[in-house]
Amino acid sequence: MTPMIWTCELTEERLSDYIDDLLAPEERAAFLQHVPSCAHCAPMFASVSHLVKNLHSIAEVDEPPRLVYSILDQTLGPRDSATGWQAVLQWFRGMGTRRFAYGAASLAATFLILVTASGFNWRHPKVADLSPATIYRNADRGVHIVYARGTKFFSDLRVVNEIQSRLRENEQVPVNQEESLPQPAPGKEPGSTDGTRPGPRQQNRADGIYREMEVLAEEMVVFNGLLGGSSR
Amino acid sequence: MRRHTRRIYNICYRFTGNRTEAEDLSQDVFLRVYRTLGSYRSAHGGFATWMTSVTRNLLIDHYRRTKRDRATDSLEDKMPVVENKESSARRPDEQALLGELSGQVQHGLTRLSPELREAVILRDLQQLEYIEIQRVLGVPEGTVKSRINRGRIELARILQQMGVRPS
Repeated sequence: MTPMIWTCELTEERLSDYIDDLLAPEERAAFLQHVPSCAHCAPMFASVSHLVKNLHSIAEVDEPPRLVYSILDQTLGPRDSATGWQAVLQWFRGMGTRRFAYGAASLAATFLILVTASGFNWRHPKVADLSPATIYRNADRGVHIVYARGTKFFSDLRVVNEIQSRLRENEQVPVNQEESLPQPAPGKEPGSTDGTRPGPRQQNRADGIYREMEVLAEEMVVFNGLLGGSSR
Repeated sequence: MRRHTRRIYNICYRFTGNRTEAEDLSQDVFLRVYRTLGSYRSAHGGFATWMTSVTRNLLIDHYRRTKRDRATDSLEDKMPVVENKESSARRPDEQALLGELSGQVQHGLTRLSPELREAVILRDLQQLEYIEIQRVLGVPEGTVKSRINRGRIELARILQQMGVRPS
């Protein structure tokens, strides 16, 4: 296969194809073999490739700011520019929209929540309640009360849960113990054979109640401590 | 809308070389797009391509309409470029622009024929793909390639005459 011959006419016709990377590999090879060493093509290639590089680097011109408004005026019609009383009425008309009503309602609700949270008494309102120091003191007190109540509630839940879990354990333990223990031989029964000592089931029950009381006693100490702390 | 406005304004400005005409033409483009929006079919290319096509048609109409007005300028075009003479008729902001590459390119573009000018603007300033230019101009691919190539060579020659040398 004979290599492709590139001519100066081909450079004039297909210079942009090379710049835009549209030449086939064999055309590209022939172009590169001819152009750099050609006195006619080399300067033309240099100036055109330089021009394309420059054109790509040119930034867009800023459009006049009024252009967008002129286009909107021409397509959607001129904007209404009310003056005097009409402008005031237009402003009030804007307040009648649903969006404004939602915004106003949410703003009022937020204000009410914040003022109530700051300890303002709505039944007996005082100007002094609105001073920053009072608001801070009330807010601080409120936060502490909420924290104490939360801690107490959590402790109560923990105690109840503990008791419930113990009760569940006790319901299961006697059955398991009875199944796992070897059956006592007659005459060697390790329990209340004479009626003075409790049987194994009664003993387990008593042990369980004793453990529950121990847990309750421990919890009550904590509970009392918390209550004492919160009341302070 | 602002993005389209800037793009359309730039095409008009690069084609006419005049800010006021570019502004008027941009308004006309949007007005025509607004009125003929129903005729847009996505099968014929993207919305931006369609808008560019509308712009191009308006620019060609404008070029033909103002051809007679430019008849007196044609003699001036044939004369060698003398920067001082040119700049004396321009506003100060346009003179500053001419001092930059953008201004030199703009001046060179106005000396290209409208066919070559629009091809170079779409390809190298708007950086459209060949297929998009083909849709905008409504000519075969070979014609698009040929116009872009001739436009670039011609513009490079004009800029060389103006004293802009490759660095």
